Amino acid sequence: MRTRRWFQAALMLLLGLYLLETLLTGEIAYYINERFNWLAGLAGFILIALGTVNVIVLLSEPEQNKVTPHSAPNLLQDVPSAAHSMTARWYVLVILSVPLLFGIFLPAQPLGAAAINNSGVTFALNVSGAGEQAFSIAPTQRNVLDWVRAFSASNNVDEFSGLPADLVGFVYRDARFDETTEFMVTRFTVSCCVADAVAIGVIVRSEQASNFSADSWVRVQGKFEVRDFQGQRMPILIAESIEQVAMPERPYLFP
Amino acid sequence: MDFNTQLTLFSTRFLGIFIEAVSFLLLGTLVSGLIEVFVRKEDIARFMPRRLFAAIAAGSFLGFLFPVCECGVVPVTRKLYQKGLPISVGVAFLLAAPVMNPIVFASTYAAFGFGPILIGRFVITFIMAVAVGLLFSLERSPIKLLQPRALMAMSGGSGLASPQLSAPQTPFGQGLVRAARVATDEFFDMGRYLVLGTALAAGMQTFLSQEQIRALASDPAMSVVAMAIMAFVLSICSTTDAILALSFANFGFPTGSLLTFLTFGPMVDVKATLMYLSVFKRRIVIYMVILPLLMSLLFGIFINLNVRF
Repeated sequence: MRTRRWFQAALMLLLGLYLLETLLTGEIAYYINERFNWLAGLAGFILIALGTVNVIVLLSEPEQNKVTPHSAPNLLQDVPSAAHSMTARWYVLVILSVPLLFGIFLPAQPLGAAAINNSGVTFALNVSGAGEQAFSIAPTQRNVLDWVRAFSASNNVDEFSGLPADLVGFVYRDARFDETTEFMVTRFTVSCCVADAVAIGVIVRSEQASNFSADSWVRVQGKFEVRDFQGQRMPILIAESIEQVAMPERPYLFP
Repeated sequence: MDFNTQLTLFSTRFLGIFIEAVSFLLLGTLVSGLIEVFVRKEDIARFMPRRLFAAIAAGSFLGFLFPVCECGVVPVTRKLYQKGLPISVGVAFLLAAPVMNPIVFASTYAAFGFGPILIGRFVITFIMAVAVGLLFSLERSPIKLLQPRALMAMSGGSGLASPQLSAPQTPFGQGLVRAARVATDEFFDMGRYLVLGTALAAGMQTFLSQEQIRALASDPAMSVVAMAIMAFVLSICSTTDAILALSFANFGFPTGSLLTFLTFGPMVDVKATLMYLSVFKRRIVIYMVILPLLMSLLFGIFINLNVRF
């Protein structure tokens, strides 16, 4: 039972350290909205504090359970004794190790184009009051989210015609797109954690479109024109330049 | 999609939900540890309204006192049971608290403003929690409802407590150490369900298509069912699900369906259901899933068919 309690304390310390490590390396941005970062940090500290208390308690009561009469072999494991009552069973410890193993042994990677196949991309996104906010930003300063908000807040697509844009996102295509001249410059928005990730994007047309493979990060500069896409009049970004860029430190946009 | 891509996707979603939820679970277990040490049974008895209905209604408002989401509410409820909270009041608290608290009020207001969604969410949650609570008051013997572990302290000393220690004159520092150890035990006890539920939710998101579910948005009855399924599967924290509901609104889901999502989801989802198993017997957990499901479906369909906003 003492071995399990040591394991329990170690697991809490390691989980706490893992949370703080993802915060420090910035990898936390692949998992949750940044406004919850403090919460993950707090969780890290709580885990380390709890782990430490357990270690101190374990050190200060050496071999106690050998002296107590209650420690007869396997006697009523779940019945409270003075020292420790509900020390987790081994299988529980194994289950709680899973997140740690995933975090340590699998490469941290944000959601990409492959994650969209299940849920599709939205061209329109309603966030109350955010439409006007998007219009107040200078066109070349707007990111994908600002544009998508502006599109859905507007009832006249023609007002976007001729506006310049400068966007960073990853390349996404599906059956609706013409492989050689079109792709979508795409971002995920994350409100809470990646479970609620929604892909949003702006359609790009360019003769060089086929040079850029799905999932690669690009910076697209150009002007909007209102064109036909799948039978609908939509603002489409006519690219003047497209360059390959590194993935931003924060791959998701936070509404 | 090859296996590696799917595994990475799964891992990202799994860790995302886990990191987010584990913070709330830890806060819940800390509150639970503090209750264990610093709240006495007499306190609960003193503040409980005498009349059944008043007590249950009060239980559903308890979330304003302990603002917890569905990950944190389970350890707190279990601890309150050990301190002698009546079963029916605890059920109302468990079901209502993830919605009826200041944080969720703020996030729902931020997403939808003051209107039918905000009011509907709180009113329907209250009605559902009180109804299920009243139903549970018919069975007064806790032994038939609760897991033996959740009952443990009811007969006297709880997990780590020896009777002397639980006396009010416990030195503060010693009390904190004991609260930490209670929190540790609770963290592992509930954490296993959290990990399993998180894995299920991440797995379903990675391997099932949401497209078909969303195609149902136009039908007033089927869209309600679709929202209930989404709420169950996605297991999004109640503190932020309003923002996701907003994106469903963009897919054309009507108000009634969104209300089903926003009332059923916080009460019942994959990970919460698994965590309920640490408090209630399996048969009881089935009731706690089916009753809110049926009620939220009825509310959603009724609103879709009869109410125009």
